[in-house]
Amino acid sequence: MMLTKRQNLMETIKGGNPDRFVNQYEFMDIILEVPGKLMADPGTEFKNPWGITFRWPEGQLGQFPVHDEEHKVLKDITEWRKYVKAPVIETSDEAWAAAVAHANSVDRNEQFITAFVAPGVFEMCHHLMSMEDALMALYEEPEAMHELIEYLTEYELNYAKVLIDRLHPDAIFHHDDWGSQKSSFISPAMFEEFFLPAYKRIYSFYKANGIELIIHHSDSYAANLVPFMIEMGIDIWQGVMTTNNTPELIKKYGGQISFMGDIDSGVVDFPEWTPEIVAREVERACKNCGKLYFIPNLTQGLNFSSFPGVYDCASEAIDKTSKEMF
Amino acid sequence: MTKIEEVKAKVEAGKAKLVPDLVQEALDGGNAAGDILQGMIDSMGVVGDKFSAGEIFVPEMLMAAKAMSKGVAVLKPLLTGTSTSSLGTCLIGTVQGDLHDIGKNLVSMMIESAGFKVIDLGVDVSTEKFINAIKENENVTLVACSGLLTTTLPAMKETVQSLKTSGLTGFKVIVGGAPVSQEMADEIGADGFAPDAGSAAVKAKELVSA
Repeated sequence: MMLTKRQNLMETIKGGNPDRFVNQYEFMDIILEVPGKLMADPGTEFKNPWGITFRWPEGQLGQFPVHDEEHKVLKDITEWRKYVKAPVIETSDEAWAAAVAHANSVDRNEQFITAFVAPGVFEMCHHLMSMEDALMALYEEPEAMHELIEYLTEYELNYAKVLIDRLHPDAIFHHDDWGSQKSSFISPAMFEEFFLPAYKRIYSFYKANGIELIIHHSDSYAANLVPFMIEMGIDIWQGVMTTNNTPELIKKYGGQISFMGDIDSGVVDFPEWTPEIVAREVERACKNCGKLYFIPNLTQGLNFSSFPGVYDCASEAIDKTSKEMF
Repeated sequence: MTKIEEVKAKVEAGKAKLVPDLVQEALDGGNAAGDILQGMIDSMGVVGDKFSAGEIFVPEMLMAAKAMSKGVAVLKPLLTGTSTSSLGTCLIGTVQGDLHDIGKNLVSMMIESAGFKVIDLGVDVSTEKFINAIKENENVTLVACSGLLTTTLPAMKETVQSLKTSGLTGFKVIVGGAPVSQEMADEIGADGFAPDAGSAAVKAKELVSA
C-alpha cells in the first residue's frame, strides 16, 4: 500500500523510506482564508491594515509595496513609534469562519493543515520603509531597528496565538524572502544579530503549541543562512534556488533540515514554456538532489504557476520521475 | 596614514557621518579636490569588488555609497567648472514591463560612484523613453538596461536592438539583471553585461574607455 502524502513527507524529511518523491505542495492543504486581505487584485492597489500601499499594475506578475514619499509608512526610523501602529488582530467567529471551515474539511491523516503567514519580519521592515532605508537603518540606527523588529515579532506572536486557537494547524508556511537570486540581502552576522532572535521566538512558539512542521519560503539564495534556519527550527526551506547548489546543501545539512524547490520558476514558468523544458528541469533536480531531504518543487511561494499549466506539468513530470527512480 | 587614505578607509567602511569632516581636513591640509574625489572613486571600486566576491552585502554597499556622496557634497563647490563626472552621462532604467528597481538602484549608485553622471529613468522604461533621453541629454556615453523577470527579456532585447539601430551614436549599451547572462547579452547585441552592481561599475568604465 502506498504511503499517504503525509507519511511520505515524514519519511522523506526524517531519512526513512519514502515510496516516491513528495510532489511539490501536495502534503500541505494551505488555509488562505484567514481574515485580512493579503494581496491586491491584478490591476488595482490597496492599503493593508499597517497602512502599506500595495500596487499590482496590469500585466505584472505580482504586487509591489509603494515607497514614494507620499506612501512610505515609516519616514524616520528613529521615530518609528509615531509611524508604525500594529493593526488590531481580528478574533471574531465570523471573520475566521471560512478558514475554520476549510481546516475542518482537511483529512489530517493525508495532509498537513497548513496556516499561511506572510509577510515575515524582514519583509515587514522593508515594506514599511523601503529596502534601501531598511538596510541602511541596520547600520545607522541599530537600536531603533532592534526595537522595531521586537515590535513586529510581538505582533506575529499575538497573531500566532489566534491562528493556533482557531485552526490548530499541523504546519506553518511562513514567507520571508531573505535574498536575491545570488546572495542574501544582509550578511550572516547581521542576520544573526537582528533576525535570528526574532525567528527563534516565533518558530519555537509555534513548535511549543502543537505545530509539527515549519516550512519557510525564501525563493532566493540563502545557503549562507542555513545554519540559522536550523537553529530557529525550520524543518523545510521552500524556494531553494539552483544558485544555492542544493545537492551540496542536502549532503551537508540533510537530516537537520530539508530542501524544497531546485526548479527555478524563472527557468520554467514563462510565456513560451514547454513541457520539455519542465521535464528536463524536474529530472535534473530529482537526479541531482536524490530521494531524501528533498522535495522537487517550483520555487514560487504557492501551489500554482504564473503561466497556466506549468505547475501541473511539473507535477506530472515529478510522478513520472518517481516511477523511474523509486 | 595620509588624510586621503583616511577618507578612503572611511568610505570603504561606510562611515557616512565621519567622511565629510575628513574630506574637509584633507582639503585644509592642501589636497586637491580632484585627488580626494579620485580617492573616493577608488574606494568604491574596492567596495564593488568585495560585493562581487560576496565578501560584503547590500547594506555595506549602500553605506559606502552614502559615505561617498556626503564626501562629494563637501567637494562639490570646489569642483564646479571641472566635472565630477569625467566618464560622461549614463542613462539607466528597468526595461518596459518590469517594475523591479532595487538592483537597478544599486547599479546606478555604483556607476555614479565610479565617475559617471547618472540619469535614472526609473522602471518600466519604454524604448522611446530611452531614445528620447539620449537625444535630450549631453554626452551620453552609456545606456544601462536592467530587468529582473524572465518575462521581460523580450523587452530588453527590443530596447537594445532599437538603441543599436536608432542611428544615434557615442554610447555603449550594458545590460544586467538576474535572468541575463553574457550569452544572452551577446545574442541581443549589447556591448556589455555585468552579473552584479560591483562588476557593473567596472564594466561601465571599461566600455566607455575602450
